[in-house]
Amino acid sequence: MTSVHTHLHGSVGGDHDHHGPDRAFLLRSENITLAPGAGKGISTALLGAGVIGIVLAGIGSTMIGPLGKAHALASIHVGVMACLAMVLGNLWYVLLQSLVRAGWSATIRRQQENVATLVPLVGLGVIGVLIADLLLGHPLFTWMNKYQGDYILEGKAAWLNAPFFYLRVIVYILIWTMLARRMARLSLEQDRTGDKWLSAAAGKTSAWGMLVFALSVAFAAFDLLMSTDFRFFSTMWGVYYFAGSAYSGIAVCILVTAMLRRAGKLEGVVTDEHNHDMGKFLFAFTVFWAYIGFSQYFLIWYSNIPEETAYMLARKQGGWQVIFYVMAFGHFLAPFILMLFRPLKKRPVPLIIMSLWAILMHLVDIFWIVRPMVYSGQPGHTTDTIGLGGLWVDVVAIGGVVAVFAALVIRKVASGPLVAVNDPYMNQSLEHKNYV
Amino acid sequence: MARHSTGPIYTTESGVPVHGIVAEYATAADVYRAAEMIRDAGYTRWDVYSPFPIHGIDEAMGIRRTRLPILIACIGLTGAALGYLMQYWMSAVDYQLVVQGKNPASWEAYIPITFEMGILSAAFTAILGMLAFNKLPMWNHPLMRKDRFLRVSDDRLMICIEACDEKFDQEKTRHLLEAAGGTNVDLVEEEPEPVKEEPAGH
Repeated sequence: MTSVHTHLHGSVGGDHDHHGPDRAFLLRSENITLAPGAGKGISTALLGAGVIGIVLAGIGSTMIGPLGKAHALASIHVGVMACLAMVLGNLWYVLLQSLVRAGWSATIRRQQENVATLVPLVGLGVIGVLIADLLLGHPLFTWMNKYQGDYILEGKAAWLNAPFFYLRVIVYILIWTMLARRMARLSLEQDRTGDKWLSAAAGKTSAWGMLVFALSVAFAAFDLLMSTDFRFFSTMWGVYYFAGSAYSGIAVCILVTAMLRRAGKLEGVVTDEHNHDMGKFLFAFTVFWAYIGFSQYFLIWYSNIPEETAYMLARKQGGWQVIFYVMAFGHFLAPFILMLFRPLKKRPVPLIIMSLWAILMHLVDIFWIVRPMVYSGQPGHTTDTIGLGGLWVDVVAIGGVVAVFAALVIRKVASGPLVAVNDPYMNQSLEHKNYV
Repeated sequence: MARHSTGPIYTTESGVPVHGIVAEYATAADVYRAAEMIRDAGYTRWDVYSPFPIHGIDEAMGIRRTRLPILIACIGLTGAALGYLMQYWMSAVDYQLVVQGKNPASWEAYIPITFEMGILSAAFTAILGMLAFNKLPMWNHPLMRKDRFLRVSDDRLMICIEACDEKFDQEKTRHLLEAAGGTNVDLVEEEPEPVKEEPAGH
């Protein structure tokens, strides 16, 4: 099929201007590089706003009752875990494209590499949360306080013990950093040398990297999210977190490319056809998230085993059920119905709105996982109500973390060429079209 | 079929109705260019025959997007809704049975079958709708009677403009196909009406 394709475009391209891209013109340097200092203003503003938000959350933590510190820390954890999901989602796309030798996405892959290489910085955020948790006496990872005689926790002690836990978190961050750095380094080296075999090397890395990625993300999700409600266990958990990360990750990629296009860059390089395929990913992971989320919920609901059901019960009463239904409609049903329509997957403005919505919904998802634990003396047996009084702390804390993350993304994007110019699939990507 | 209702019916010298005019092209690029010319000349009832898929030929032919997805979405959602209602009626209305102390009207229990019903009806609509829109199965076609047509499963590309097209004109259409670079331009005879065999002995 490839030879026919090439033959067709090779011979038709000359005298039909809607076919066959003028590669040299499209990849001219002012189209694929940002001016020095571009985005500096907005990223500095975001960074400032983010730091102010986090500081406000710190101040607010002293004003909203005795558990204020735990409350604020949980909110920051929500923001960090959501940003980690977005970073890991983009790392997954980078690995996936090398693994399957995707052609269509060669022009957008650099942005995914940019986001993925932020993993050590977000990892520092995770470590920061763990240090704060340690200093505050484990309000977040309550199992570290060793509930005496807790039968379930004793059964899990071989896995859930502090030294092993901290070691694992460090290992996860190192694995992701190594994978992201290596993929980005091969891609940037190809920019300079044009050596097509670097793509083959990236493919080899992604083959084992995908396996390592899948396992590390699943176990990280167990450790950093599931263990906040330590009696609970679900084998779906890793996939659930991954589903959210691929969903919010492609949303970040869509937003980055959309911003660059609005800044007058990547003209004709990233088109509505690429938008369409990214939109399909967003659509697909809306459905995938719902499928995984419902499967997890359904089995727990049906079997009705106390230590599993307690988790869902805590999140389906006292006001938290509002979030449950908001997600059923806002994270799945509404985007599913809307994105059946092609323009919402393809046209820039609707797609930007859907992506912002996706990120918001992902934040709500992580919020629903982490925050109900704060006011429960007995994890998994909460009688807490949603308590809107301290909600402003959640807003400034999560907003602050996300703003800092956005600032980091913008800095990273502005730091180098916007396209992997020497990718062997560049021509295919430039002329990419969704037929039908 | 439109050829019976509108436009003049062309016949060959031997008096057989004309199905259309066929022309051969050597490469995908040639047929692509020819398709654009024929599209721009305003023809609507014609087709390109090729041994392999040609990317973008639908655009060059001016074929509009299929309306099948709308049909699939409507019937798929209807199927899902019916699946849900069926279960609701069976377990919560007609024959209530409390299992495991759960509410007979629990939406959770209905989701898998609702989902399956949605998929099933959407998939059947997709495959049957595709066949219907493509007028399949089609057991024979007038072009099959042409020996040279067999080469479109090998190394030739062909365009056939059908006589039922409003713009069809034996001379002008032939000139257009030739101007578009076609070779071996030829008339295609319509399938003869099936002859009813008299039962033997009568």
